[in-house]
Amino acid sequence: MEYVEVHILEFAVKGEEVPIAAVYHVRIDGRDFPINTVDPTGAMLLEKVGRRPCAFELIEELVHNDNHVIEPEERVNLRKKGLKGFITAEKELVTIFINGPGYKIERGERTVAEILDKVKETTEGYVLLEEKQGPPIPLPPDRPVKVEGCEVFHTQPQSGGSS
Amino acid sequence: MNFPEEQIEELKAYCAKLSALREANRIYFFLEGLRLPPGCEPGACDALLRPFPGGDGYPSQLYFSTQIKSPFTRNWNVSNVRICEKNWFAFSWKHTLSSPKLAEMLVNHLTGFTRPK
Repeated sequence: MEYVEVHILEFAVKGEEVPIAAVYHVRIDGRDFPINTVDPTGAMLLEKVGRRPCAFELIEELVHNDNHVIEPEERVNLRKKGLKGFITAEKELVTIFINGPGYKIERGERTVAEILDKVKETTEGYVLLEEKQGPPIPLPPDRPVKVEGCEVFHTQPQSGGSS
Repeated sequence: MNFPEEQIEELKAYCAKLSALREANRIYFFLEGLRLPPGCEPGACDALLRPFPGGDGYPSQLYFSTQIKSPFTRNWNVSNVRICEKNWFAFSWKHTLSSPKLAEMLVNHLTGFTRPK
């Protein structure tokens, strides 16, 4: 017998194995989401709550308070016995994007020099620009940059001056 | 001088409204609500991009509707100049880009607010 929809929390509480179903109802941060695959990736589940792996991590909650971090590309078996659901948490070491590739950096207020250093550039030779609610805008090197994860930066050589 | 449509589209993203204004048979770009770099006061204002060399020796110029307070003091050497029936202010900033696109030109002028020199 195949169920149409199951709520995995109900089976975890009863200590029963989750049956095969077309749709698995999963709680993420206390909200219910229907998932139509038995093995979604961590990134897919994070996306359900509007979060991205560059700033947040996904944690699976098992019975007996046994928690485990799920990597973005890791597949989770929603039929796993004891799986209650998921919570998300802010990462301390987030990912920012500079000229395309991602780089790890601590969440919080960072200097322009620290960010440029990720791509081996300095404030003497380069300008840091941030895409934030619009196209890239240059950032002054003497002001802290708030980093929460997923920020998009660009660099460009200095090419002008006060005349 | 005509600019490619994609360059004009790119420029639009920096402001609330973009229009082309003509004076003395030259095209200027009027950027309403141009977003300024962090630390500038106000954070946005109207601006006029002159994308061609003028008699002032600058290869291009970005004029502002008001003088901007910025993280680094600038030499505001243009005050209340009248262009396209509006008064404008500008600071001394010369880019060294060869054949920049419109957005590159704009960003280079904005960079002037964020550099010590």
